[in-house]
Amino acid sequence: MALDAGVRADFERALAPEDVISDPVRCRAYECDGLTGYRVVPELVLLPRDAGQVAAAVRVCHEHGVPFVARGAGTGLSGGAVPVADGVVISLARLKRVLQVDPVDRRAVLEPGVTNLEITKAAAHHGLYFAPDPSSQQVCTIGGNVAENSGGAHCLKYGFTTNHVLSLEVVLPDGSVVTLGGDSPEQAGPDLRGVFLGSEGTLGITTKITVRLLRTPESVRTLLADFPSISAAGEVVSDIVSAGIVPAAVEMMDTLAIEAAEQAVHAGYTVGVPAALVVELDGPEEEASTQFDQVKEICDRHGCTRLHIAGSPEERAAIWRGRKAAFAAVGRISPDYFVQDGVVPRTRLAEVLDRIAAMGRDAGIRVANVFHAGDGNLHPLVLYSAADGETKRAEKLSGEIAELCVELGGSLSGEHGIGTDKACSMPKMFSEDDLDVMRRVRVAFDPDGICNPGKVLPTPRLCGERPGKYRPHALEEAGVIERL
Amino acid sequence: MRLHDLVHGLTRLPSGNDIEERPEPMSPPNTTTTTLRPTDLRELRDAVLDTPGTVSINGAGTAAGWAGALRPVDAVLDLTALTGVIIHNPGDMTVSVRAGTPLRELNDELAAHGQHVSLDAARIDDGATVGGLVATGDAGPSALVYGSPRDLVIGVTMVLADGTVARSGGHVIKNVAGYDLAKVLHGSFGTLGVLAEVVLRLHPRPRATATVALDCPLPEAAERGGQVLASPLEPVALEWVSGEPGSLLVRLEGTPDALPARVDRLRELLGPSARRHVGVVGARGRAVGRDGGADGAEDPWARHAELVRGGADRAVLRIGARPSRLPGLLADLPAGAAGTAGLGTGVATVTVPADAADAVAELHRRVHAAGGSSMLRARPASFAAPAWGPPPSALGVLRAVKTTLDPGGRFGPGRFDTWE
Repeated sequence: MALDAGVRADFERALAPEDVISDPVRCRAYECDGLTGYRVVPELVLLPRDAGQVAAAVRVCHEHGVPFVARGAGTGLSGGAVPVADGVVISLARLKRVLQVDPVDRRAVLEPGVTNLEITKAAAHHGLYFAPDPSSQQVCTIGGNVAENSGGAHCLKYGFTTNHVLSLEVVLPDGSVVTLGGDSPEQAGPDLRGVFLGSEGTLGITTKITVRLLRTPESVRTLLADFPSISAAGEVVSDIVSAGIVPAAVEMMDTLAIEAAEQAVHAGYTVGVPAALVVELDGPEEEASTQFDQVKEICDRHGCTRLHIAGSPEERAAIWRGRKAAFAAVGRISPDYFVQDGVVPRTRLAEVLDRIAAMGRDAGIRVANVFHAGDGNLHPLVLYSAADGETKRAEKLSGEIAELCVELGGSLSGEHGIGTDKACSMPKMFSEDDLDVMRRVRVAFDPDGICNPGKVLPTPRLCGERPGKYRPHALEEAGVIERL
Repeated sequence: MRLHDLVHGLTRLPSGNDIEERPEPMSPPNTTTTTLRPTDLRELRDAVLDTPGTVSINGAGTAAGWAGALRPVDAVLDLTALTGVIIHNPGDMTVSVRAGTPLRELNDELAAHGQHVSLDAARIDDGATVGGLVATGDAGPSALVYGSPRDLVIGVTMVLADGTVARSGGHVIKNVAGYDLAKVLHGSFGTLGVLAEVVLRLHPRPRATATVALDCPLPEAAERGGQVLASPLEPVALEWVSGEPGSLLVRLEGTPDALPARVDRLRELLGPSARRHVGVVGARGRAVGRDGGADGAEDPWARHAELVRGGADRAVLRIGARPSRLPGLLADLPAGAAGTAGLGTGVATVTVPADAADAVAELHRRVHAAGGSSMLRARPASFAAPAWGPPPSALGVLRAVKTTLDPGGRFGPGRFDTWE
């Protein structure tokens, strides 16, 4: 069923005719996000120029019952921005102004299409920065960060997007405009701002975001340490935490990931070592310096085979370049790959990596591992060759890894979201009642079900009549939680 | 949400009460009220299912008189027996607890592992429960760095008015699977669901803390506070407390080796009249180490907590605004007013005498006009001022959430009186 001409004319009145794209060739550019396996060509793509036009477009959708999907830079990795057939895509790409940087109250007001890195660039001359730093920060937008509640390498210490957003101007699915949150973190009443953050574009479209800015730390110390085994590196992380140190970042890479990153960017990693840790400490000079000495001592105690301390901002940047390049770099050692995103309690890291290695061996598929070791967020890279017919096997392995994380008491996703990709896995993590209550909250925002439908929560249409089979949660089996 | 009244009226008809009857603000629940005291999730669920009518969800009672006055209810769900740690994973720095657990007790238990829940709301020392702190969204001065309960809760189990038990989040700090239902209940004052279990992220207990105080009025404190925030010293709390002329309090946390040098830098920044209090303040405003600040003064945060509590015969208004707006908002307060101002957070508390109800109504207006939000906390029984300022623009969504989660209007009738 195609949208009728009247609806299209309404969109053209709400925006401008040239900002309503219907040419299938041009619409095809919007058919997928960063997870390219899911593709749907939208009926129309709308390119509003300001918040008023976004609201006007959503009002047209509401009047005619047209489903819509908001889209930022399209870098999402869970199919959260996959268009809906017979629906429209509302691109926020043109809403890209930094509206205000306020050095006194340390905040910035942004349109949703501003990239994550631009926020820090706009604030830097005041000695301020925006803390969440997803790996895609050069291109991903703050609107997308809000939708996904993005984290990044430094979220162990600094938290996620939800901890840094003060208020949101939101176009609700009926086209009305509201503000969630406010001028201070403490707001009267239930925290609807917090409900909206991380809702993956299913509760409305944000058109203006006020974020907190932090003072740039006085001192940043970064080291790269090689270890004879993943478990030795894991013990270092545990000991750092036990010492009462909260590092700004702790990242781990395994042999395959190091090899790929080194081939790609020559960042000075040691090819062939079983595990490399990147540890970063920041804060006032005295504290960072004291704690850095402790970290070095902990590394030595666990058989560190090489300790490289960044001696300059350039060397620090090189270490991070290697780490952040790892995803794309595996393209050099494998024709195709899936990036997985699961979380386990940090104390189960060694166990989950053993299990993943065994699963990879059984499936005959290589898995490279890059992860945020401080918070147990894994990014296994499942390497395969589509040309050799390995896609299905790799996809199955990737899904099983996410579900393994749930089995170990963790989560299906740490930062990439549920989107289209994992909606049918949600019953592995949540009971029907849990999902039903989430559904009720969704309906409170979107009674007509037109706002990014089919994402996050499983539906019979998406997953079959019985979306996933309920299995007792690992915590339930361990007696930690009970189902009544 | 006039459905509240209907349900309330119907369920109370047998006892002969008039459907229009309204209690005096702050009056205790009527004498026919049933009290239920569940000790686990199953008993809690059964209590909600087996008890018809309206319900007040009660914790330790440290915030019982906050927000809108509760209308008479048919039953009280007393959660003070729903206590205890369910699981503490020291290596993961997470803990799950039953919601009626006093945070003070939880932190005492966690102290053996060098960990704590980094909340320092004043009423924690009075026995406030974990669930109560989340339901009221209450935080203390260290919210500047650690945030409020919303930032520390990583999972919840809740019971809805129809007996549905639902969970969201989990036991890992980093988790974006599904909607974050904890946020729905955060600040909901027991009107949307019952918090049964809460999973919290933990922080290391600070190994050393110090506070530097500078006597000055609020406008000067705001200016000096701005300098501290612009410095690399990373205070965990930055508050002004009223007095003659008032004091700016700056708290630092760190390691015993590194902290003294930072304190010296802070005193240099604030000038020679800045006083130093070493090791006075712990995670909950209590001593963590040897007391006896270098200058021998008393714990400067004790007065802060006292002002936030308000005390007998005083009304307490809580304000959130842009930090730079606080000096203006707190200027020209009525005689006898006192308060605190979070110069980094924008969170302020104003306490006024029992005869200053008009001043509270005026403050609601001023705060709202300045883009902030406000709520009345504890106040004398006769205090006739609105609990809430003007409703937020998203009132329609709030009402829809209430309708979907508690369609019969069973929980906490009256708490959001003017917004209902």
